[in-house]
Amino acid sequence: MSISDYVLAAFVYNGLPLLFAVILIASIGVPFIPTTLTLLAAGSLVEQGELKMGSVVAVATLAAVLGDGFGYTVARWGGRPWVLRQAARMGAMETFARAEILARRHGDLGIFFTRWLATAAGPWVNVASGLTHYPRRRFLFWVVMGETLWVGLFVTLGYHFSDRVQAVGELLSDLAVLVVGLIVTALLAWQLVRSFRSQERST
Amino acid sequence: MLLGLLLVLGGTGLYGVRTSRRAAYWRQHRDEPIRSWMTLNYIAHSYRVPPHVLYQAAGVPWGERDRRPLLNIARSQKRGVPELVSALQRAIIHSRPPFVAPAPAPE
Repeated sequence: MSISDYVLAAFVYNGLPLLFAVILIASIGVPFIPTTLTLLAAGSLVEQGELKMGSVVAVATLAAVLGDGFGYTVARWGGRPWVLRQAARMGAMETFARAEILARRHGDLGIFFTRWLATAAGPWVNVASGLTHYPRRRFLFWVVMGETLWVGLFVTLGYHFSDRVQAVGELLSDLAVLVVGLIVTALLAWQLVRSFRSQERST
Repeated sequence: MLLGLLLVLGGTGLYGVRTSRRAAYWRQHRDEPIRSWMTLNYIAHSYRVPPHVLYQAAGVPWGERDRRPLLNIARSQKRGVPELVSALQRAIIHSRPPFVAPAPAPE
């Protein structure tokens, strides 16, 4: 039996308090927590009349936002001074400044898409956003948008495929990896074409 | 960068094949495997069999909805989950054609 089975068993037996705990812990960054399956199972329980849709969405979204906020806050007020000291020691202050600019320029999309698509990278993006002093309100805005979409999407899918939670969960996990793989492939191919073009121009 | 692209492309291709095979499998098969996190009511819903049939097969009194997953039921009965799953699978097979449809739930 896997961790996934134990977590889901605890959730179906205890309901909303366990839903809150599971999503919170996963959003903080604890690995191997089956959040997709938990949300799908929650949707199935809504369809079977055991839970209410409004409570499920509210509890799961709140837990996800709090978990994301935790990673961001700890990195911003705890991790940043340490990272700055290390950067100064290694003479990498300029690199750190560039990373900050990059995070502010492309952070919005990064935060949004790691909430509901490339969810495994979510906790890392929270820490990176905190370390690079990504604006607090903007972080909160994109986190709320992304997490609401994530929870709404998966609970709705669980509601509609309420009799096939395990099957749909496994399919969606593979599909998410596939989509992220396609995006990374497209980005790398684009970078490659750009570097070839700049080489051609310089010769 | 070219090596990285080839690696990511290979991995994505593998996942593409895996996803499409899984999707094709689920198009042809309705029943998903019974797992220890599932409740008797969920299994009844998923396999489209009357819940009381599964309650009887699991040795759980029929009446109020039992929210326990198989893991907890098996533990309280001091037996393994696979044994409980086998009993449920037998009951599911016997409640579907060519077997006679199960009697309605007792009041």
